[in-house]
Amino acid sequence: MTTLVPLGAFIALSAALFFIGFAGVLVRRNAVVILMCVELMLNAANLAFVAFSRRLGLLDERGSVFVVFVFVVAAAEVAVGLAIVLALYRNRPTVDVDEVKEMRG
Amino acid sequence: MSLDLIEPILFGLLAVMILGAGLGVVLADRITTSALLMAFTFLNMAGMFVLLGAETIAAFQVLIYVGAITVLILYGVMFTPQAPRSYGLFFQKQTPLGALIAALAALPVMAVAFAFRDSGRLPARGGDLVPIATSVFKDFAFPFEVASVLLLAAMIGAIVLVRRDEE
Repeated sequence: MTTLVPLGAFIALSAALFFIGFAGVLVRRNAVVILMCVELMLNAANLAFVAFSRRLGLLDERGSVFVVFVFVVAAAEVAVGLAIVLALYRNRPTVDVDEVKEMRG
Repeated sequence: MSLDLIEPILFGLLAVMILGAGLGVVLADRITTSALLMAFTFLNMAGMFVLLGAETIAAFQVLIYVGAITVLILYGVMFTPQAPRSYGLFFQKQTPLGALIAALAALPVMAVAFAFRDSGRLPARGGDLVPIATSVFKDFAFPFEVASVLLLAAMIGAIVLVRRDEE
C-alpha cells in the first residue's frame, strides 16, 4: 500500500502557484510576461480542479471536464492577448504596459 | 526499500520544480528565460496530473500548454524585440506594494488550503478518458458547442487584430 499525498498538499501547491502568478501580474511590466503569469494562474486553477475531482469523490470526473474548458479558454485568451500586444507594438515599439497610454479609458 | 513513499517523494520533487520555475517566470530578467521556465512549469504540472491519476488531462496539458501556448508565447517574444535594458524589477515603485498585496491575499488562502481532507472513497484506478468523454458529450454538450464558438471568435479576432491595412 503506497502512501497517498493528502488533498490539502495539492490544494496548497495550487494556491502557491496561483499567487506566484498573481504577484507576477502585479509586478511585471512586460505585457508578454503578464500573459505568461496569467497562464500560470489558470494552470494552478486546473490543478485544484483535478485534485478535487480525483480526491473528493463527489463529482465523478466533472472537474476534469472543467479543466478541458479552461484549456479552451486559455488558448483563446493567449491568442487574442498576443494579437493585441502585436497590434500595440506595431503602433509604438514597446510592450511595457506603463508606457502604453492608448488604451486608457 | 519498498515503494511505500514513492508518491510523496514524486510530489515533493514536482512541487519544488513547479514553484521554483514559477518564481523564475516572475523574477527572470530575460523574457525568453521566462517563457522556457513557463514551459517547464507546465511540464511538471503534467507530471502532477499523472500523480493524481488524470492521465488524459496530463496528455492535454503537454499538447496544449507545453506545445501550443508556449510556442505562441515564444512567437510573441520574438515579434516584440525590446532594447536590451535591465528592468530593475526590485526598484519599481509598484513592486513592494504588489508583493505585499499578493502575500496578504495568499496567507488566508494557504491557511484554508491545508485544511482539505480526502473523502473516504478512493479514486477508481484506470484511465480517465472514458468518464471524461462521456461527461463532455452528455452533461456538457451545450458548453462544448459554446466553446467551439468561442474558439472561432478568438481566431477571427486575432486575425483581424494583427491584419495590416492594405494601402
